[in-house]
Parts: sequence; C-alpha cells; structure tokens
Amino acid sequence: MQGGAKYRHSVLERIFVTGVGVVSSIGLGRDAFFRGLEAGQSGISPVTAFDASSLGRRYAGEIQSFDARDHLSAAERRRMGRCASMALAAARMAVEDAGLSSASLGEARTAVILGTTMGEARILEALDHEWIVGGEPEVTRALIPQYGSALLPIHVARAVGARGVVLALPAACAAGNYAIGFGADLIRTGRADVAITGAAEILQSLQFSGFVRLAAMAPDRCQPFDLNRQGLLLGEGAGLLVLESESHARRRGAHLQAEVGGYGLSCDAYHITRPHPEATGSIAAMRGAIQRSGIEAADVDFVNAHGTGTKHNDAAESKVIREVFGDRRVPISSMKSMLGHCMGAASALEAIGCVFTIETGIYPPTIGYETPDPECDVGVVANAAVRGKSDVVVNNSLAFGGYNAVTVFAKPGVLPPPRQWSGADEAAQPSTLRSPRSSPGDA
Amino acid sequence: MNPHVITGCGVVSTLGIGRQAFLAGMASDLGSGAGPDSDGTPVETFDASKYADVRLAEVRGFDPKKYLGDKGLRSLDRLSKLLIVATRLALDDAAIKTSGSWLPPSADGERPWADRVGLVVANAYGSLEAISELDRVALLEDPRYINPARFPLTVSNSAAGYASIWEDVRALNVTVSGWSCGALDAMACSDLMLEAGRADVLLVGGAEAMTEALFVGFHRLGLQSLTTATVPRGAGGAEGSRRPHGARLGEGAALVALETRKSALSRNATRLAEIAGYGTSFAPPRHTASLVHASADALEIAILDALADAQTRPADVDLVVSSLSGLAPFDDAELAAIRRVMGDSVPVTAPKFDLGETLGASGAMAIMAAIAHLNDAAPARPVHGRPPGAVGTTLLTAMGYYGSASALVLRRASR
Repeated sequence: MQGGAKYRHSVLERIFVTGVGVVSSIGLGRDAFFRGLEAGQSGISPVTAFDASSLGRRYAGEIQSFDARDHLSAAERRRMGRCASMALAAARMAVEDAGLSSASLGEARTAVILGTTMGEARILEALDHEWIVGGEPEVTRALIPQYGSALLPIHVARAVGARGVVLALPAACAAGNYAIGFGADLIRTGRADVAITGAAEILQSLQFSGFVRLAAMAPDRCQPFDLNRQGLLLGEGAGLLVLESESHARRRGAHLQAEVGGYGLSCDAYHITRPHPEATGSIAAMRGAIQRSGIEAADVDFVNAHGTGTKHNDAAESKVIREVFGDRRVPISSMKSMLGHCMGAASALEAIGCVFTIETGIYPPTIGYETPDPECDVGVVANAAVRGKSDVVVNNSLAFGGYNAVTVFAKPGVLPPPRQWSGADEAAQPSTLRSPRSSPGDA
Repeated sequence: MNPHVITGCGVVSTLGIGRQAFLAGMASDLGSGAGPDSDGTPVETFDASKYADVRLAEVRGFDPKKYLGDKGLRSLDRLSKLLIVATRLALDDAAIKTSGSWLPPSADGERPWADRVGLVVANAYGSLEAISELDRVALLEDPRYINPARFPLTVSNSAAGYASIWEDVRALNVTVSGWSCGALDAMACSDLMLEAGRADVLLVGGAEAMTEALFVGFHRLGLQSLTTATVPRGAGGAEGSRRPHGARLGEGAALVALETRKSALSRNATRLAEIAGYGTSFAPPRHTASLVHASADALEIAILDALADAQTRPADVDLVVSSLSGLAPFDDAELAAIRRVMGDSVPVTAPKFDLGETLGASGAMAIMAAIAHLNDAAPARPVHGRPPGAVGTTLLTAMGYYGSASALVLRRASR
C-alpha cells in the first residue's frame, strides 16, 4: 500500500469524523442540513432538470438551491459537471468544518475515496444525444474527458491538495458506506492520516425513466416501512466527511464529532435489483459491522435505515433489524422520506445523519409514516424527531448487485480500541462498551 | 502489503480465453507486439463500416455459451458476459470450483466457500452498451419504452453484481473505477480486505467491453486515429522502435485468485506469484485549465512506495511491466518516471501493444503478463532495454489520464 512498510503502525489507529459537508435538497452545509433533519423537512418537489411529463411520475429530491458559482472557480466549473461540482462543494465545506486547509492536507498523507452510482450521468447523456442525432462529428470533444466515475475523487483531490490514495468506488446505493469504510481502513492500518470520503449523485433523466419502468417509483411521497408505501422517490446530493486518525486529530486539537467504528460488507448473489428475501447477506453485514466495532447489538441506540420505500427493500430490511436486534425495538428511521433516494450519495448523507444523531441526541424522523405494516414490525421514528440515547448508531445500506454495506458511528470514547481482525474472528465478540466520558486514548 | 499469493487466473482476452490459451498467445507471435487483429479483419462488436482504419483488440469469436450454457444470457451485456466467464475460469483455475460447483472447503472446513470468496473488479466506463441503447430508445422513441430488464445494466457495478449471482460469490463485492490504475488499486483494496479477514479468497482484476460508444469517444479524441502504424515485430531494439502511434482500443476481463499464503498452503494450492508491494500517488497539472495530464512525478512516488512496501531495491527488479499504450505524452511520462527510479537499462514491456488499451482491465492484463514471465511461460519481449534472463521480480506501472499513478511489485512465488 501507499507509504509502504515504513508507515506501518503496530497499533491500529482510531478514526474520527472531524468535518462534514453537505449538498442536499433540504439544505446546503452542515447547519442547514441538521436543522432540516430535526424539523423533518421534505426536500421533495416537482423535477425541473428534465421533462418527466410522459412518465406519470414527476417528484424527486432535486436540489434547486445549488449554484456551482457559489462554490467553484470558473476554471473548475469548465472542467466538471454537476456531480463533481456538488462533490467538490461538499468537500470544501467538510474541510472547512474540520478546520483544515489545502496546505495541511498536502503535508498529511491524505486520501480521497468517493462513491457514486453513475457519476457525471448528464455529461454522458449529452454526449450520447449528440452522437445519436448527429453522428461522431457532432460529439463535443471537450466533454468526453469529463465523463468517468473515477474523476470525482480526482477533482476533489486536486482542489484540496491531497496526494495520497485517490479512488472511486461505484457501489451503487451503498457507495457512500463503501467509501467511508475503505477510507477508515486506510487510516486504521496506518496508510493515511486523513481521508476525505463520501459520495455524490445527481438526478438524471435515464435513471428517472429506468426506475419508473421498474415500477419502483412512488407518485409523490416516499413512505418507508408504511403499509401503503408505493415505492421510492429519487434524490440527489453530496455528503462528504473528513476522517482523521486519532493521532493526527489530537495533534492539531481537532473537534472529534464522532468515531468511525467497524464496517461490514457482504453480497447477496441473489438478484440484480432485489434484496434477498431472507436477507442473510444483509444480516451478516450488519452483524459484521457491530462485531468489528467491538460491541454487541444491545449497545446500538439507533439505526439510520436504508428504507427506500419499496415493498421488497423495507420488508427485507425489517427482517434484518428483527434478526440482529431481536425483541428489542431499536429506533430506526429513513432519511429517504425527506431527501428521496440519493443513490450513491444516500449512505454518505445518512452517515452524516448519524453524526447529527451522535452530536445532538436527536433521531431524525421518517416523515409520511401513517400505517404500520406487519411485515415491517420495527420501531420507526414516525413523523417527528425524538431525543434519545445516541452513543452508538448504525448506518445500513443495500444496493443493486446485491451489495450490502453497514457502518457504525459512535460518540468519541465509547468504543473499545480497534483491533486487527482475521477470518477466524467472525464469532461474536464480548461487549466492552465504555462510558462516553472516558478518553478514546484509554484502552 | 501482506504476503498474498495468486493461486489461479481467469482471463478473456484478445490473445486467448483461459490461462493456458493466454500464455500460449503470449508465448507465440501474437505476443510480439503485432496483436492478433491488426490485419484489417472486420470488427465483430459493432458495425464499423462508417469509420476508417479501425484497428481494435477485440475478443474475437467470444461465445459465453461455451462456458456458461445458453440460459440466462439474453438480458446481459457484453461486459457482464466477459466478467462472468473470467470469474468462472478463475474459480476453476484456483481449484475452488469445478465446472461451476464449489469444491469442499479446506481452509477452515466449516464455512461454505461461497461465504468466504469475494470479488474486487476494476472497470472504467461500465456498460456504455446498455446506456447508449436506452438513451437511443428514450431519445428517438419515448422514455416509456426503455427496456426495464436492461436498465440495471446502466449501474456501474452491474457486471460485478451479475458475476456474483452467476458464481454465488458472497463474501463481498467491490467495484473500483479507474483506468490503467484500476486493477492495481483493486489489488490494494483486496490487500486490506484480506488483511481484515473479510474473505479467504478474493477474485481481483478488471473488465472492459468494446462498444461503439466507447470507440467513438476515443476516435473523436484522436486516440484511435493513428492506429494504422505497423508495429515492427521482434524483441528489443532501439528505443522507440516498437512504439505504435496512438492507442489501440481493446477489451477483455482478467481476474486472479488472491489469498493469504497460509490459506494457499493449507489447501495445497498452486502458487503462481506473490504480491509484494503497492504504491499510488496523485499530482495535479501545472495549469488550472488542464484536465487530462500525465504525471511522471506521481508515478515516481508510486514506484518508490511500492518498492519500499515490498522492501525491494530497484536493482532487484528484473522487469518492468508498463502501461505504455502508444499515447506519446503518457508513454514519455511513464518512461521518465521508470528511468528516474530504475535507471536506463531496466527492461520494460508493454502488454497493451499486444492486448490493446483495455482501460479498467488493463492492469489485470498486465498482472497476467507478469505471471506469464514469472513462471517462464512466455518470454518477455521488452520495448526498451534488453530481454531479461530469469524473471523473479516484476514491477507493474500504470498511469491514469488525470494525474494519478500506481505501481505494484509482483514476485515469483516462494517455494
């Protein structure tokens, strides 16, 4: 890995979130986003970016307040599309929130790991349309190099001065959790000091049409876990987090917003769009994340659910929650009721929702929840935010391709020290949860 | 990196399908820089009649039914088919499956193989085939008529998703988006995943499929327009004598089975090579207006870090397996970085001259080529420097199009 043996650490590093940046349909920036989550604000509105009139669906979590000119230079705007613009804007917010600078990120071993589903889908759409209508001579040459998921972290690395691992993980709707998990692993194993992670996604017409054709899109409301839920609504956004090693963060006196615990991965290997009905892979991923955090399910206070609002997803996810947490009705909520399904960016925005819960003790609500579904017999935080214990929060995500990824966030000082895992460690680990008042350095 | 070993290969390439066919292709005249389809043979994957001087490195005569049967293939795109076949071949070659069925586990004897095998795949552009097909319907007909069965293919990780479904691979599934660096970066991801005990075996590599949309993009940028140059045959020679002008776009999929040395030994697996070190770096362009650029500085750092990670000196490297493709600015920067660290005389091969510019798959193809040389299955035919004697340690280098670069040290497996 980058840095080689000279950078290997004999003790695994703790990782903390020290900054967050948000571009969302309920607000730009941390403060507006947090206020929106607490208020149960809806970011859903009629789509303006393209003509959806023939499709019988027209609502989405479109961001109408984002203007790239407010965040990017003219030169930057010329070389990237809306997706990278939102990612870069969120990255700048996160870096500022962390109290870092490009100079300090250039000196540190800084990685940029970002997720997405489609990246600059509108650029590809524009290129495709030019080609389809006019043939190759009509294709705008300057646009071609602007397409490619791998460009997202490159734009961010370039802007913030990062020089380390620069990687895109297009893991569909679990991409944010993948990026956060991998960024954390780089730090935990001593391969980076700082990781700028998260994900970005934009609304785009083909994606919108595709979900309509899959009969997965609701008419006007996304109602996760509700008996009468009619499907998902699409959304867009960018959620970026600055992760730092404990040593790096403490050296500069950074505010520790949350600790990043373990993460779990699995693959259903069942169906390209539907979760496994028995949810075995998703259960394994959630249990893995909890175990790798050195805790037990009983220690988890809140689950920021995937909660798309589709019949299959919410039923399968409810099964996961019941299987992992047993009879205890752990509070859960789906931010997609407010933001729509922001695809690759969803779990990154929801990770920032976890930071919100840890910092404020507030569980964001699932708005539009009206009628309990016996198939989704879980403790939904319905319609209004509630306060509760928030030492440990789980962020669940599933994706096309059967991808499952789960991350854990905790109040600084709560989790036991991280340790090296091996394949023989899958057995349940004893809980060693500590008081949040104790120092993270106290092993 | 940790001492992980390669215990099997699955490859679908223009030189051949399957490890033995690939090695035979590398060893034959096909692997001498001429490539198998630079003779003006018509393009198979799309109607190329309206384009002049089209020279591609396609996987000619690719018939997935031969490997997968004839059920369930209709809704898949070419990218998924290439990757699924490579996945099946890799599992068979690593003696984890036979004819699509899992062999009994021997690593811990308890958990099924399916739960302990994962997939880490690099890819650059996803399914341009499906996206342009659906865009065409939406634009020329109506968005309501797009085929819902083809829509999931538009998601970047769909090929890896289908591969996991076909082969029942469940431990984890990661798609890495990158160009030439992608598969080397996928190796680094896999190193972390194996180190953390997330899987016993990971199938690691990359895939890219030929489509007209991909070709048009490269052609419009002029990257294909100079591909008519004949590449002289023969090994070695003066600098530049075997450099083609312009990249020849290619396709394919290649995966290696990567596992811990302990796991490989416990099941008495064939060890084809060891991964010893990795490095990567990124450097921005000097000018704010630039987007595409080659960074020798980034590659120099990546090489130094990979060598340090492998605890290897430059003098211990017998062969550099490069990502030279025929694009002069990138080739010049890559060679400059290699020479700064390794000196002028190190032999440098260019698998892309034979296999084409396979983008997300290219790093995996380079790994396959390195395995061929490390196992004396094909002679290294350098484009710079003299042919090496026995090859015990290889350095793989890769340049991204936007300032990133990666390097990987691959060694002959210890006995």
